[in-house]
Amino acid sequence: MSSFIIARDLPEALEIMGRGEARIIAGGTDLMIHLRQARLSSRQAPPVILDVSRLPELQRLEPGAPRPFVGAGVTFHRLESDPEVARHLPLLAQAASMVGSLQVRQTGTIGGNVANASPAADGMTALTALGARAEIASLKGYRECSIEELVTAPNKTTLAPGEIILGFTVEEAPPAGQVFAKVGRRQAVSVARLNLAISLDPQLGDPRIALGACFPSPRRLRDVEKLIRQGEPGRQLWQAAGQQAAQHFTDVCGWRSSAVYKAPAVTRVTERALERAWQALGGAA
Amino acid sequence: MELIFKLNGEEVRLSQVPGEESLLTLLRERLGLTGTKEGCGVGECGACSVLLDGKVVNSCLTAAWQAAGREVTTIEGLAGDEDLHPVQRAFVEAGAVQCGFCTPGMILAAKSLLDQNPDPDEEVIKNALAGNLCRCTGYHDIIRAVRRAGKLLRGETS
Ligand code: FES
Ligand code: FES
Repeated sequence: MSSFIIARDLPEALEIMGRGEARIIAGGTDLMIHLRQARLSSRQAPPVILDVSRLPELQRLEPGAPRPFVGAGVTFHRLESDPEVARHLPLLAQAASMVGSLQVRQTGTIGGNVANASPAADGMTALTALGARAEIASLKGYRECSIEELVTAPNKTTLAPGEIILGFTVEEAPPAGQVFAKVGRRQAVSVARLNLAISLDPQLGDPRIALGACFPSPRRLRDVEKLIRQGEPGRQLWQAAGQQAAQHFTDVCGWRSSAVYKAPAVTRVTERALERAWQALGGAA
Repeated sequence: MELIFKLNGEEVRLSQVPGEESLLTLLRERLGLTGTKEGCGVGECGACSVLLDGKVVNSCLTAAWQAAGREVTTIEGLAGDEDLHPVQRAFVEAGAVQCGFCTPGMILAAKSLLDQNPDPDEEVIKNALAGNLCRCTGYHDIIRAVRRAGKLLRGETS
């Protein structure tokens, strides 16, 4: 039987985590499934479940700040409905609106999405494209790292025991041409088979593309970004970028059976998302 | 430690609730409120939907302790002594109930939507109910029921 502790403040939470036997709960949408599986296979529940969802540090949401900050305990529903998020980090708002069901969005958190590192996590791919950095605390102090450094493989992160993700910062407000796209089995609720997050600026000086769900962890497609930086905006460039993205995908994943549909899907999704991002900047299609 | 929260308007106090226990198990097995259903147990069907501070959540994915100090509403808490809640009435009148297994969750999801948005269009209704599966009705009459419930709540029909 686990004991359940609702952390009152961050020092208390860090102290409990420092003892090394607590599992964190925020929304519960992932942890409760793990606990159920553990019960069904007669594995032990963790000695302590630590609820961090009421910590003010994790609830902080400052999308319009010079260095935008999104607390780890912010729910997807808050991200999809906050007008400031829609204005400054539309990519995150779009990604959040495509996560699970309303029930899941009202409890699931962006921090949990990253900490549990499901390869299909939509929020994680969006943060990767934004170049977000995770702010992490433990009894030893604070550290920061990129999402790509933090999430290394399915359900694997470089979080050390005792560490808590406080939230995510974006270095500078990224440009407004942001688009999130997702392919799943059905439009609503389903887990992504692939997801794509894009941000474009009018000069194509700093395009960012992250592809997720079809990789062990989301990754920036830096070769595609380079191609876009060097090209002329327009349909031809978007098509070439789509093909390059599919090439990148097959280079990493090989021609597994699912690549037969995924590679063409990557091409088209990338192409269309770039087109939409460019239109969002006011450019012609 | 005692777990204290408000359930359908009344305070409950429980001791010895394990940290890993779900709100669903607590409601059904500890409190005998079996109106909340268990379908999948993993957040996919919505049969276990309840309102937590007015927002619809899957009680199978919620730890019982997450309700501490909050307000939980289950299907048992909707109707008055005599009358059904307008959303319940609309479901009956629109023929949106067949086997009824999904109905408590559907009604709570619909209530949570209508509390925030009294006049949702069909797309908004579909999006709000996307996490609630129904194996019987084909959804058409459920959507009609939610529109009807909106009208009842807005006083446009009786
Ligand atoms: S039983 Fe909770 S979502 Fe299916
Ligand atoms: S009425 Fe039977 S599942 Fe919906």
